[in-house]
Amino acid sequence: MGALDYVLAGVAAVFLGPEMFSLFGLPVSLALAMVVLGFLTGILVGATPGLGGPMAMAISLPILISLFGYSADALLPVMGFLIGVMKGATVGGAVPAILFNTPGTADAFMTTLDGYPMTQRGQARKALKVAHVSSAAGDTFSDIVLIVCAPFLAIMIERFLDLPEKTALLLLSLSFIATVVGGSAGKGLIATGLGLLAAFVGTGEDFYPRLSFGTEALSQGFGPAAVFLGVLIVGELFRGIEDLWREKARSGQVTQYDLSGDQSLGWADLRRLAPHIGRSALIGTAIGALPGIGSSLAATLGYTVAKARHKPGAGDPKMGEGAPEGVAATEAANSAVSGANLIPVLSLGIPGNVAAVFLILAAESIGGFTPGPSVFRFTETAVNPELVIAFGLFTMMMLANLMNWTVGGVFMRSLGFLVRVPRQLLLPVVLLLTLTSIYVETPRFEVILFTLGFGVLGYLMRRVGMSPLPFVIAYILGGRLEETARQAFAATGADPFFLFNRPVALALMVLALLVIVWSVRPKGEAS
Amino acid sequence: MQFSRDRGLALVALVLGLAVALVWVPLDSASGILEQSRRRVSVGDAAAPTLAALFIIIGALLLWIERVSDEVSALTWRNAVYLLWLTGVLGLALALMWGLGPLAARLWGAGEYRLLRDTAPWSQIGFLCGGTAMVAGLVGLVDGRLSGRGLALGLVSTMVLIALYDLPFDDILLPPNGDY
Repeated sequence: MGALDYVLAGVAAVFLGPEMFSLFGLPVSLALAMVVLGFLTGILVGATPGLGGPMAMAISLPILISLFGYSADALLPVMGFLIGVMKGATVGGAVPAILFNTPGTADAFMTTLDGYPMTQRGQARKALKVAHVSSAAGDTFSDIVLIVCAPFLAIMIERFLDLPEKTALLLLSLSFIATVVGGSAGKGLIATGLGLLAAFVGTGEDFYPRLSFGTEALSQGFGPAAVFLGVLIVGELFRGIEDLWREKARSGQVTQYDLSGDQSLGWADLRRLAPHIGRSALIGTAIGALPGIGSSLAATLGYTVAKARHKPGAGDPKMGEGAPEGVAATEAANSAVSGANLIPVLSLGIPGNVAAVFLILAAESIGGFTPGPSVFRFTETAVNPELVIAFGLFTMMMLANLMNWTVGGVFMRSLGFLVRVPRQLLLPVVLLLTLTSIYVETPRFEVILFTLGFGVLGYLMRRVGMSPLPFVIAYILGGRLEETARQAFAATGADPFFLFNRPVALALMVLALLVIVWSVRPKGEAS
Repeated sequence: MQFSRDRGLALVALVLGLAVALVWVPLDSASGILEQSRRRVSVGDAAAPTLAALFIIIGALLLWIERVSDEVSALTWRNAVYLLWLTGVLGLALALMWGLGPLAARLWGAGEYRLLRDTAPWSQIGFLCGGTAMVAGLVGLVDGRLSGRGLALGLVSTMVLIALYDLPFDDILLPPNGDY
């Protein structure tokens, strides 16, 4: 098969896969329907304060697997739903930030700076339109970069990196993520070490499952669902419940602002906003391509650059006082991260953010698709099914973007009421739903206890200012790091210095060290 | 203030890392860092966890020397009190979830629970009561008192979950039925 045949096969797998229903005589495939459903769900959860894309992905995964099973046909519908949620939640997150000054996620915080003042001035609808257009533009741009770059990067890695270099690359990724995520390199490295340790419990090549204390429960290791959902979701729920517990005296009244003046978003507005959207889309994509940095920094940088270049006319609001440019710059930047974040996932198998973690979990749970450089092998004699799936994923991402451009804005603007759902009622229900979902996937009560244990760990990490993301990424990469290192050691004839006597591997190791040294240099002010 | 709190965390991490590397890994792995069988040398099962411990130790040492001028974040006694309450609520809810189904089956003389684990209402009693207790307890924890609102929400949400997972799928078991 040639490259174009693979692209067409991926598109066909989405449109001509198992049929769900027919519309006006035309068959609608399961994958297509699940992208639409996921996208609308994503906007819904994104617009609900206290929820978010990763939480919805975590809860829906076991339900999806129960519905579609573990067959090869399940992969595209399940991944399609998750991709839809990921993209929908990014757009939906702007709703509570703009309407009620309550950013549902850290990324949306910068959106409140100009979005909420616009609402106070009676321009809520216009602010939502600006957020929607900017978000859709940033997301689409970033997906195009992903589709163009990921295959080339993967091919380069397969061609130029041997086992020692791959081991060094994994170590560089771990040290990079550990030192860049969060404000402290030390805490990042501790979290990475703990994540690796969790990955190594109950595994190994010997007959005795290591680090299991000889117990049956630990000998099977910690499953990915218990670790991911525990640290990322349950930990966040525990923190959220505690915040509410402390703030129970706070009044929950929401002030209403009526609409007034022109709410339309015309060509003149778009021309004025376009440079800000373009710049932020570039910033977001560049940051998103680096694993672990995340959309909060992209939003902050996009906003800061836009603020430096913003020259308001007479009577126009400044940035921070309700300028549409502020909303556009922030939303384009944080949305551009989501597509680019999949570049390291698909080309290296290294997840860059929480949403990517759940896509990997789905791929691991169902099987038949292992994100990494091996996906992009353009084999001509035999079909590489993983490559067909990869192009199917790209097709679904573009479909979700199409949804975003068409119905996304209307749906998003109709969800302002969700912000009134009380969080103290929502979070306990989400906790029960998460624990039930985990048990349904792995029916062992100890898995619930492990999840709660990892939830407490995630809660403690957040409370001491330690990001849980390096922990989770280290857990994901731990098994691969060990396997690659074992193979590299064997392939180099048991050379203990295999990481240091080959130029590329040595360069990567030096880079890993430099990243750490750079991150602990004396800083003038907080990053 | 921030500096000393981070140093406390660094100390805890350093002790943990050393304990893992020097005690847990050597005592709880079947092979060492490198293994030699006949003339072949290979990486043993202790190597990877030792690397993990090394990450923790290096992180602790860096945390000891680095100065982070970020916002102060540390554990206080209030966090401990909250965790105690949380453990109490979740412990009670999970105990109800685990034990109530088999207890009800025994009291009613319905037979061995293992044979009833997929038969309503026995298979749903534990989940219904435990799930309701979990939601009502956590809502009550935030509100400062147990309320009818929390109980109603717990009951409705567990019933929705039963409808979502248990009724449409024959092969799915609600907690704790997979363990029996």
